[in-house]
Amino acid sequence: MHEGKGQLRILVVEDEAKVAQALREGLERAKYEVVVASTGEEGFFLVNAEEFDLVILDLMLPGRDGLQVLSTLRKRGMQTPVLILTARDAVEDRVLGLDKGADDYLVKPFAFPELLARVRALLRRGRSEQAVPLRLADLEMDVTSRKARRSGRYLELTAREFELLEYLLRHREQIVSREMLARDVWKETRATPIDNVIDVHINRLRRKVDEPFDPKLIHTVRGVGFVLREES
Amino acid sequence: MKLSPSNVRSRLTLWYVGVLAALLIAYGIGSLFFLYLNMREQIDHNLLEDMETVEGQIATEPDGSLTLRLHHGDEGDPGLDRFVEIWSPQGKVLYRTPQLEGQALGGPPSAEDARKDVAPVSERLASGFRVRIASSPHHLADRTVILRVAHNEEKMWRELREFATVLLIGLPLGVLLAGFGGYALARKALAPIDAMTRETQKISAEDLGARLSIKNGDDELGRLGTVLNAMLGRLQGAFEQLRRFTADASHELRTPLTAIRSVGEVALQEPKGAAEYRDVIGSMLEEVDRLTRLVESLLVLSRADASRIQLHRADTSLLSVAEEAASTLEVLAEEKQQKIDVEGDGDLVVSADRLILRQAIVNLLDNAIKYSPVGSRILIRVRPGDDKRACLDVIDQGPGIPFEHQPYIFDRFYRVDKSRTREWGGAGLGLSITRWAVEAHRGEILLSSKDGAGCTFRICLPIASDGPNQTAGRVSATPRMGPA
Repeated sequence: MHEGKGQLRILVVEDEAKVAQALREGLERAKYEVVVASTGEEGFFLVNAEEFDLVILDLMLPGRDGLQVLSTLRKRGMQTPVLILTARDAVEDRVLGLDKGADDYLVKPFAFPELLARVRALLRRGRSEQAVPLRLADLEMDVTSRKARRSGRYLELTAREFELLEYLLRHREQIVSREMLARDVWKETRATPIDNVIDVHINRLRRKVDEPFDPKLIHTVRGVGFVLREES
Repeated sequence: MKLSPSNVRSRLTLWYVGVLAALLIAYGIGSLFFLYLNMREQIDHNLLEDMETVEGQIATEPDGSLTLRLHHGDEGDPGLDRFVEIWSPQGKVLYRTPQLEGQALGGPPSAEDARKDVAPVSERLASGFRVRIASSPHHLADRTVILRVAHNEEKMWRELREFATVLLIGLPLGVLLAGFGGYALARKALAPIDAMTRETQKISAEDLGARLSIKNGDDELGRLGTVLNAMLGRLQGAFEQLRRFTADASHELRTPLTAIRSVGEVALQEPKGAAEYRDVIGSMLEEVDRLTRLVESLLVLSRADASRIQLHRADTSLLSVAEEAASTLEVLAEEKQQKIDVEGDGDLVVSADRLILRQAIVNLLDNAIKYSPVGSRILIRVRPGDDKRACLDVIDQGPGIPFEHQPYIFDRFYRVDKSRTREWGGAGLGLSITRWAVEAHRGEILLSSKDGAGCTFRICLPIASDGPNQTAGRVSATPRMGPA
């Protein structure tokens, strides 16, 4: 890891040019240094030649299969965390990938906020999670006493609203997709239709957290999800 | 058709001929033996009669030697068929029929022979003649002698040989004829199968509407035809369903694609501000989300079809799952001032994958909320059913489902109201997934609804067998991973 050197380096091995370009731009915007390899061979060469903090590896690659790249890497004792991307949604494929030493996987088509969240989680791994103070602007949360305050006033939140706000606050300034909320806050499978439920909860939360106060903190990013941030 | 052991007709004929030949051979041998026993018994009977006759004919000559004297009324010269010998107990021949030309009828008598009658035995004379000999002690005035009478057996053996010859010639001939007959019969019996084969060959995937003609539904072939026709019916149904499914799926995929395309094209017609572009991209992403969900639902169903989804079962209170589902969707009901009541027996435990079962109930409840009027009541009731099952009813006060739609309500992409397409999640897969989830738990889902009077969806699942059986022991094959 390049703890002291500022930017973290991510290698993206992806043959689909558009996807690779989107990954590069999105990750660079999130302040990572990105190197893109478009074949398995190239990725294999790069990972041997240079040092990376994370590898994002597409499983279906021309030349050298992503799984082969992965197992060769692991056989050589490289500990770089690997996030695999796969269009194959079958359980066996995921298990195979994880067996070969991948640290996490994402099924295509994935939502970009989801990818960012996984990348952050992987890069954080191994380091002790620093106790982030749950605070943004004049909003504060205390998880142990399960109390939330804004401008010093306590907010009346239901249990679900509290969990939702906590999740948004932990991912503050990051876009959170409905899928992430459904999975992490409601613990539901993707196929369960609870997007409406999420929207209703966000609206109620807004009424309690934002309506009486300024600035507004909960924002909807149309087509993507929600973000908790202080907008200038 | 060629005679080869690989076709049923030849095999049938061969078996038939083989069995018939074996039966005929056994029958022939049995008849021969029976005939032989009969003839021998006749000879033995004659021997005993002759013995009495001969006893009456014995006369003592003046010189002390013995002779046979024919009385009036006795049979004439016995010729070559009957022989007599008289022995002294000491083993001396006292008289011998001249026709024997000095050949002995067996050896000298034993001590036994002098005391009692000896059952007839078959012997071969020195000249090769086969004879049947009976022996009996006879008391004269001054002494006891041993009397031996014999009958020629050659005639009997000749008759037996002739009978055997007839059998040996007749049997193969009969078997051959029967073989031809059997072959013809087999051909006749199998002809309908050949006809059925030709008919079946004409039926292809493109033309599953054709059916086999059945002459008699009660015989074996009729039953075969009926079964085949039923299978064709199911195949036709499945093909029809597949065709409809493919058409519906491409329609459902095309709708969001059209939206993405036209929204993008229209937006690019003239320059716009950043906010407007943001809105356009957001709108396109919404459609992408719809597409993604559709593809995922289809994947779930296709994996379910291939039975590739593993259930992680554990003993689960049906009521508690219902309560979870209700609490998840409660906010939606509140928005419409609806009230969800969950009631029933919390002790009814089923062996279920909690996530999947909850998803099934959420789907039903979501529909109930969506289609029920503002301010109505939705009731979830858990109660014991028949056959050791636990049942869960989701009862709404919505408009109900018209009778003609009810049989198809669980079909993929089926919609009662075709204009509901654009509603959220309205791809028409929710109830299909619910039905799959219920059936994967060996349960049953039913709908009862009267037009205008709400509807009741009922899920019935087998109650988990008693005792703390941990069916949950299976390790999850899908490790849940996510951001820490």
